[in-house]
Amino acid sequence: MPDFECRLKKYRQLKELTQEQLALQVGVRRETIMRLEKAQYNPSLKLAVDISRAVDAPIEEIFIFP
Amino acid sequence: MKKSKATFTIILGVIIVLLLAASGWYSIQFNDWRLIVPTDFSTYAFVPQDLPMIISTLLFVLYVLYLAVLILRAAFAEKRRQKTANTTRRLNPKLGLLGFTGFLGFGGFWTYSAYEAVFPFIFFAFFGFFGFFYEGKMSNTLMDERYVENRTQAELTAHRVTVGILLAVLLVVGHGRGALLGSLDYTLIAVLIALSLTVALDLFLSEYLLYRYDSADQLDGGEE
Repeated sequence: MPDFECRLKKYRQLKELTQEQLALQVGVRRETIMRLEKAQYNPSLKLAVDISRAVDAPIEEIFIFP
Repeated sequence: MKKSKATFTIILGVIIVLLLAASGWYSIQFNDWRLIVPTDFSTYAFVPQDLPMIISTLLFVLYVLYLAVLILRAAFAEKRRQKTANTTRRLNPKLGLLGFTGFLGFGGFWTYSAYEAVFPFIFFAFFGFFGFFYEGKMSNTLMDERYVENRTQAELTAHRVTVGILLAVLLVVGHGRGALLGSLDYTLIAVLIALSLTVALDLFLSEYLLYRYDSADQLDGGEE
């Protein structure tokens, strides 16, 4: 399991996006967003960048690796 | 395939099988079992009573070829679709019932004892169609990067397991030039059965594990 902290939920809620809406924007399934928010899935760089752009937050603020 | 075309194909198949059965019955009743029992074509002489059996067999062969063309066309169409689409193919989970055709493999024991034909053993591979049940559950799913990752993981695990099993079977059965089963024939049959079953297991496991990896995520629940 990936060892990192994910603050995606916080930034997603700040942008008032549902998991479904965010998933649609970045071209993945809602379950993938759910998994990401629980830090149970390590996204590709492309997905991380897409998410960062979608929630309008720096990538290193969303995914925090020790 | 359109529903009308599928209905036509099924009805055509039923008619041809009925024709074959009727001509078989005719041959048994009125034509001394000709073309039913194994025929030596080097000494074969045509008689008009053979016509029903010849025509129905020809129709049956043509129908099988027609089915093969349909399947190939569908496979190529699916390949083309997968290049552009980003969702899994639409499939009814009930197609998993086709897995029961794997029991046809047991027919190999009869054909081997009667005609020394071993090819029906490969029908054991049809057990792999049980995988359609899980593929159907994942029907029309968006193939995002996590799906692709899960699929790769599932296929890798399935290949590892099946290759491991096959290797173990080959080692055991082939030990001492097939001494375990006592004859080379039985050893080759055992290898054929093992190959067919491992193909089936590989097909099934790939789909089952993919479904399990993916649904395990979904079972976690979600929050908006």
